[in-house]
Formats: sequence, C-alpha cells, structure tokens
Amino acid sequence: MLALLPRLRRFATGLTRDGARADDLCQMTVERALRSRQQWHEGSRLDSWMYRIMRNLWIDEARADTRRGQTFVAEDAGLSVGADGGQEARAQLSDVDRAMARLPDEQREAVLLVMVEGWSYKEAAQIVGCPVGTLNSRLVRGRDALLAMLGEGQ
Amino acid sequence: MTVTPEELAAYADDQLDQAARARVAEAVAADPVLARQVERHQALKARLAAHYAPVLEAPLPAALVAAVEDGGCVANLSEARARRNRRFAWGGGVGLALAASLTLAVVLQHPAGDAALPGYASGELARALDTQLSGDMPQGAPVRVVISFADASGALCRGYAAGQGSGIACHDSTGWRLQRQVESSSATPQDASAQYRQAGSADATLMIMAQDMAQGPALDPAAERAARAAGWRRH
Repeated sequence: MLALLPRLRRFATGLTRDGARADDLCQMTVERALRSRQQWHEGSRLDSWMYRIMRNLWIDEARADTRRGQTFVAEDAGLSVGADGGQEARAQLSDVDRAMARLPDEQREAVLLVMVEGWSYKEAAQIVGCPVGTLNSRLVRGRDALLAMLGEGQ
Repeated sequence: MTVTPEELAAYADDQLDQAARARVAEAVAADPVLARQVERHQALKARLAAHYAPVLEAPLPAALVAAVEDGGCVANLSEARARRNRRFAWGGGVGLALAASLTLAVVLQHPAGDAALPGYASGELARALDTQLSGDMPQGAPVRVVISFADASGALCRGYAAGQGSGIACHDSTGWRLQRQVESSSATPQDASAQYRQAGSADATLMIMAQDMAQGPALDPAAERAARAAGWRRH
C-alpha cells in the first residue's frame, strides 16, 4: 500500500486541487481501506480498489461542501504542484489548474483517471462505476473543454 | 467514412480494438485535419501528465506513511514479519541499524564544491552510499546506511537515514538515484526525545519501502562488501 501512496496522492491532488486537502483525502482513503480490507479480494487489484475508495470519499466530501455552502478552492488560487519551475512554467502550470477547476466534476475525474493516472477506459469506468460509453463521452467533453481553454496547439 | 470525436480521442489514447484502430488510422492518414486533432489530444495528455508529475516525486508526508504503517503493518506485524523472513533474509545489519536508530541524527551538509545532479545523491550522502556498510556508523557520520538490496531491475539500492531525511537510492550509470524519500522535519529545532522518536519511525518506514522494492533477500555483509568492490553495478 505504501508503494501506491505517490499515485494516490497525485489523484487526490487532481480531485481536490489543493495540496492540504489532497493529503487529508489520502489519509481518509488509507484509513477507510484498512478498516474495510476484508472487502478487498486477494488477487484483485489493490490500486483500482483504492482509487475507487478515494473517488467515492471525494464525492461525499464535495457533496457535504455543497450542503455547507462552501467552495473550498478559489478558481484562481492556482495551486502550485510543480512549484520549482521558472516564472513562465509557473504561469503555464496554473493555467492547467484553472482550466481543470472549471470542468464539471464528472469530466474532471474522467480526465484525471485516463489522461493523468493512465487507466484504460474500462478500468476508469469501473472506478467511477459507470458504463464505458458514458466515461468515454465525459472524457471527450472534458478534453474538448480543456483544449478550448488552454488553446493547446492552436 | 466518419470518425466520431469519441473514436478519435480513444484512438489518441490507444484504447480502440484492432479493427477500429485500423479504420481510424486510415481516416487519420487521409485527413490532415484529423491528424492535427490527434496531435492536439496527445499534446494535452502530455501537458496534463507533466503538470501532475511532481506530486509523484514529492516526499510523502510522515503522517500518511504512519497511517499505513500503524493500520496496515503494525496490526499485522508478526504475520508480516513471518512472510518477510521467508522471502527476505534480513541480515544482522538491520538489527544493528535499528539499534543505531537511537543515535541522534546529524544534519546533512552538502559541501558547496560538490557537483549535485537533480535527483541524485551528492556530497556526504553519495560518499556514505559508496563506502559505508549497512549498520556500520563511523563516529559522527552524518549518514547511516541501513540496508542494501537489489530491486526488480537488478539495480543495487540502499536505504539510508540522515538528518535531512531518509530514503532509498538506487545505483545507475550516473550515480545514486534518489528513488524514495521520507520527509523529515528535523530542520526545525526539537527536543532530543522527538528526534529519537523520529529516527525510529523513519527506519520502520524505510524497511517497508525496501521490502516493497526488493527482489530477493537483503545483501549480507559479505555480499555488500563484494558489491562495494564492484562499484555497486547491477548484477
């Protein structure tokens, strides 16, 4: 499980868009996974199981935030996940953060799972708990929106 | 022949089955507009991946590592140890190193003259990894090497503890590449007992990381001497 932590932290950073909240989410995920480890089947993949736990915890958190009427991350806060770059790199990085922040949750998670975390469409659909076709169309809408916002290659 | 946006994205992600891939590939080859779109998809993917990559390299927060250890491993310690002993013969050096973890760590200094490559050990750390045997800590040495083992690729790796932080470095043609790092907050002044505790917990973390990465048993002192004599080249 320890070996999975860097990847889980990357996914949490993408979901929460906030370093401190990402670590809280990781912590919750680890605790939940350990508490319910009898639900994990020996021989199945531990990593996709933990991604699913993290994703579901985040959905619950986000719902609770909405109920509380809080928005945690200002769109322009631009978290600096790659803070060691030069000024130009930094400006570019926060463009990605801003664009990701504007995506609807379901498109953002599809983009993160496939384009950042490297899951296949089928695996990503299993983590999210939706049909592959649904995931595919969320992904396409998400990446079209990102391309439009980031002007990639235009 | 039409290609849907979904198919085109799936093609860029290499997610199509063989027949669909061949069909889209043909369309892309015949249509520069489609080819350009595939490029844009791939450029976006590369940009996103690069954007989040630093998180993978960042040191793990100690609290997170502790959550895994306390819940996952310590609760199960005897079972984990039994399993580990079967597949992983921990040398006497480990016991020594764990005993030595009560030694107050000294803050690691990088001499200014040392060429430091990003991601590689330099200075005192590189010297210790090159020369020091596990569990062998010269008086006043700033680095303790805790364990040596080979990873799945056959590269020789060493777990170390230093005032600045602990981690695992693996030897390649460039030098000691820093593979894993455990955050240490010993940069801030603390009372001695806190530092003792920290040294102990960092060692447990190192052992678990080493166990995750290792292929085969830890090197015993004789194997370690031989590896040192051979310049830590992969076997």
